[in-house]
This record gives sequence, C-alpha cells and structure tokens, in this order.
Amino acid sequence: MKTNILEVRDLCVAVGDKQILNHLNLEIPDGEVHALFGQNGSGKTTLMMTIMGFSGYDVTNGQILFKGRNIAELDVSERARLGMSIAQQRPPTVFGVKLRTILDYILRDTENPQERMTELAASAKMEDFLSRSINEGLSGGEIKRAELLQLIAMRPDFAMMDEPDSGIDIEALNVIGGLINQLFSPDETHPVKRKTGLIITHNGNILRQLHIDKGHVMHNGSIGCSGNPDIILDKVSRVGYEECVHCIETRCE
Amino acid sequence: MNKPSIVKQLDEKDMRSLAGVGVMPGKDNYAATLVVRDQETAYVRSDHRDVELLPIAEAFKRYDWLKTEYSFKAVPAGYDEITRQCAAMERPIGYFIRVYKGAHVTLPCQTALYMATGGMDQAVHNIVILEEESELELITGCVSERRVATGRHLSVDEYYVGKNAGLTSTMVHSWGKQMQVFPRGGVIVEENGRYESNYISLSAAQLVKSDPQTYLNGKGASAQHLTVILGTPGSEIHTDGNVFLNAEDTNAELLHRGVCIGGKMYQGGLIIAKAPGRGHVDCAGMLLETKGDGFIQSVPGLQSHHPDARLSHEASIGKIVPEQLEYLMSRGMEEMEAVSMLIRGFLGADVIGLGDELDAQIAEIVEIAGHGEE
Ligand SMILES: Nc1ncnc2c1ncn2[C@@H]1O[C@H](COP(=O)(O)OP(=O)(O)OP(=O)(O)O)[C@@H](O)[C@H]1O
Ligand SMILES: [Mg+2]
Repeated sequence: MKTNILEVRDLCVAVGDKQILNHLNLEIPDGEVHALFGQNGSGKTTLMMTIMGFSGYDVTNGQILFKGRNIAELDVSERARLGMSIAQQRPPTVFGVKLRTILDYILRDTENPQERMTELAASAKMEDFLSRSINEGLSGGEIKRAELLQLIAMRPDFAMMDEPDSGIDIEALNVIGGLINQLFSPDETHPVKRKTGLIITHNGNILRQLHIDKGHVMHNGSIGCSGNPDIILDKVSRVGYEECVHCIETRCE
Repeated sequence: MNKPSIVKQLDEKDMRSLAGVGVMPGKDNYAATLVVRDQETAYVRSDHRDVELLPIAEAFKRYDWLKTEYSFKAVPAGYDEITRQCAAMERPIGYFIRVYKGAHVTLPCQTALYMATGGMDQAVHNIVILEEESELELITGCVSERRVATGRHLSVDEYYVGKNAGLTSTMVHSWGKQMQVFPRGGVIVEENGRYESNYISLSAAQLVKSDPQTYLNGKGASAQHLTVILGTPGSEIHTDGNVFLNAEDTNAELLHRGVCIGGKMYQGGLIIAKAPGRGHVDCAGMLLETKGDGFIQSVPGLQSHHPDARLSHEASIGKIVPEQLEYLMSRGMEEMEAVSMLIRGFLGADVIGLGDELDAQIAEIVEIAGHGEE
C-alpha cells in the first residue's frame, strides 16, 4: 500500500477572527497528483498557504502530517527544506531582489547551476525577466510562469500550485503544461513513477495537459466531495457549483 | 612625464584596512593609485599615460593655473570652519587627478584617505579635472584602521567635469565608532558632462556631515547621486547637498537608501532649478531598529526658479515586509539569509558592485538587528 506524503486531519484554520477551514481532512498518497476545485472563497488558497506554513493562517484545530511528521512547529523555510513548495496565486512583489538571485540560491547545489538556470528560463520563456525584481511589473501570466519556474527549480517532493492556468494564453498553457509534466515525471524512462502534487484550478485547462489521479471539491472550508477529476470537472462545467454544492449539502444531512 | 616622485610602502595592516573599502594598491588593474595615510602621501603609482595623478602639493608646484583657475573655485575656501582649516594647510595633502582631453580611461583610478593614527585631524584637499570628452571611473576609500576609534576627517573635494566628459565616482566610507567626518564637495559639470556619484557608508562614524554642492552649468549636463548608508547605534549621519540646474536640459537624480539599526539618520538633498531642467529626489529608509533609540528622517527638497523645470520627489520609510520575507523563506532560505537578501536588494547592492565588503557589513547588521528582536 502507498504511504501518504500528506495527511491533513480535522484541520480548522482562522484568518484574523474568521474561521475559514472547517474540520478539513485530506490525504495525498506518495506519487499521486490531485486537483482541488471549489467556488471562490471556499478556502482553497487558505489550505495551501496553511500547509506551507505562512503566518496569518492560525491553525486552531487538527494536524498536518508531511512525510509522516507533524509539521506544526516548522516555519516556512523548514517546510520548504523538507520537500514542499508552492506556486502562489498572488505572490508578493519583492523589490530589489531579482528572479535570477532567487534562482541562483535555489540552484546553488546543482551541477552547472548557470546552465541549468538558462535552460529552465528558456523553457519557461522567462529569459527576459531574470534581471527584474521578483514579480515587479509582471503581467498576470508572467507571474504564473515566474512562480512555476522557481517551483520547478526547487524540485520539490510535493508541489502545490494555486491556479497555474488562470489568466494565461493557450501558448503559455502548453509551455506550463510541459514544465509541470517534467516536474512530476522527472524520469522519462519511468513516467508512472511520479512526484506528488496538489493543483488548484477553476477552468481545468491544465488538467488536459496532465494526468490527475483524484479530484476534490472544497465547500465552506472543508472537502465536500472527492472522486474522479474528469467527472467532477465535467459535472461542474455543465451544471455549475450550485448543483455540486446542493449535492454535497443534501448528502451531509 | 607623469611619473610621481613618491612611492612608499604600506604595511600589511594598512593593506587590510584599505581592502575593507575596496582599495587595493599594487594590483595591476588600476590606471593609477594614491593613498594618503594620516597627514602624508604614503603611496603613489600611475600607470596610464592619459591620467595624471599627483600629490596635491606637487601639482600646485607644477601648475600655476591650478591655484588660479581651480583651487577653491568649486568649494569656497571660506565656506565654513572645515574648508577654512583645509585651506589653511601649510603643506596641503590630498590628490590631484587630471584626465587628458578625449581620453577614455577604462581602468579605474583608486585613491584612499586613510587614518592609521587616532585622536588627530586629517585634513585633505583633492582636485579632479576631467578635460573635454574624457572619461574616468574613480574609486575612493575613506577608512580608519580597525583600532583607531577617535579623530576627525575633514576634506575638500573639487571635481571638474568638462564638456562631454563623464566621471563616475564611487566613495566608500568605513570609520571608527567615535570618528567625526566632514566632507565638503563641489562639482562643476559643463555642457553634456555626466557626473555619477555613489556614496556608500559601510561602518558609521559618530558624526558624518556631508553636504556636496553640484553645479550643472552646461546645457545637457547630468548628475546622479546614490547614497547608501548603514546606520548603527551611536551614529549620527547627515547626507544633504544641493544640486543646481543652471542650464537647460540638465538632469539630476538623487537616490538615498538607508538601513538603520540604531542611531540618527538624516536623508536630505535639495535640487535647485534655475533653468528648465529635470530633477528627482527619492529617499527610502528601512528601519530595523526595535529599541526606539534610532530613527530615519527623510527630507527630499525641491526649489524651482523656473516655470519649465520639472521636479519631483518621493520618500518612504518602512521595515522588512513580512510577506516578502516569508516568500523568500518558502524558497528554502533561512530567516537571516532572507533578511540579508532583502537588505541587499533594497540597497541595490548588485548595482554598486561591492561584493564582499558590503556583504560582510550587511551580515553584521542582520546579526545585530536579529538580536534586537528578542
Ligand atoms: N487575509 C485575509 N483576511 C480576511 N479574510 C481572508 C483573508 N484571506 C482569506 N480570507 C477569506 O477567506 C475565504 C477563503 O479565501 P481563499 O483565498 O482561501 O479562497 P479560494 O478558495 O482560494 O478562492 P478563489 O477561488 O477566489 O481563489 C474568503 O472568504 C476570503 O475572503
Ligand atoms: Mg485562491
């Protein structure tokens, strides 16, 4: 049986005075890639930011286990070094720190770091942005690519991507899809042996480029329903979340 | 013809101090080098046929016109107590640099004003002349030996940038904790001349009062000043100065970047437009001080005498933004590494190109700031 790289148990999270996550449970087995769906404001980003350990997300109940270890006491950087990484939905602008500087840092222990950077930047079509401050003056799609570029450079065991496919053109989507596939299946001779991931998407565009093992629908701060991602997406895109929510709520009763 | 008459030896301790501010006598990749130690010229070497570098006293002896046309013309001898003391020196100490017409000197010229002995005054007078169409990069290190705590450094620096000439001056200061430092600078820039100045204070003295005057006298002349200060407890640093837009199409930009972990930091600068030129002052401060005895005051100033001049300023003071810090940490950086990277970015360290010296100082600041938070 596969072990779970991530286990979220009965998690409640508050932002300020407001409880956002509500007794949420989620398991992701090693080597699987899951999708996370849900209405605006249902708590998807909050879940990812909490897993990564960002401040402002107060865990008021429950646990997060990563690689079998309770990570409550670990800060963001310790979690990153344990093997998780995130491409944020809305990353901050970091004035004065260039994309190249961060990539230098991330790639410091790899072989031929400069070549690797050039290669990565070229594949993400981000060469022109290496000398710019992180996210400063970038368009929406460029921010997505910059985030993914860093995430891929980190080669995490568990990759979280918050809407990598929102607001980007078809060409960029192909580029991004290729990059993500490479990240999840680094060994071309063994494409089934994969890294683990969690991807938030609304339009499902990215799912057409990837193989997703399972989908989850978030509702009111917890996982309302889990299953085959194509069926979920198909249902949602035909009848909308309204019906999905109705289904979740009536089942609960 | 340009060979100077004095070449003395610097000892290991001197070399170590100089390296701390990026000055490396004896290295080949410089056009010329001069070191003033205390109140004597300790080292002179000139390798470039288009650059003349001499102790100022020797230059006065050689050239009568230096006294009549340049000396104390950009900085009035009677400006204040400091300039009066510099002007009254019987045997003036300092350097004279002249770059001949049309010469584009690619290797930098380096000079140092170095205090090896404590408890005294070092007064210097420096004159730099760039003839028409010439270009020079000047690196100046101002430093006291590690064990020297007290003393005063007074200087008069007069730079003349000729028509279509370009001078880039990078000045790095690193002083003992109880030193007092009073640079008096005057720069005159002729038509289409370009003056770029980077002033970096790595280790703050007890008192620094810097008040350079830049006169953009020729049409199309420009000046860009970058002032980078790391302020530590017990220091008081004033970086003011005026830039005069005296001709049309002149352009001035004053940038201040200060990181304060204690002490008093005053960021100033005034652009005075007497002609239709353009000017911008930008002050930014990062306050990492948590005990309440340090501050940053930013007062960017503009004064216009001409309706067609376009002047603007901005100023901001803040701390390290937590979201930015955590963002870097989410890439695997430890907190202190991330703080250093943010400070380096804020100061534009890449632009200044002062790798190791600046990094060492930032590391120290981060260390102190980190302890302050507990
Ligand atoms: N810093 C904050 N302060 C106040 N409320 C917040 C904060 N962050 C999130 N929230 C609230 O928490 C709820 C969940 O937000 P979250 O960003 O997790 O939603 P989401 O599912 O990612 O939505 P979307 O699909 O729009 O990205 C929202 O109602 C949001 O307004
Ligand atoms: Mg979201």
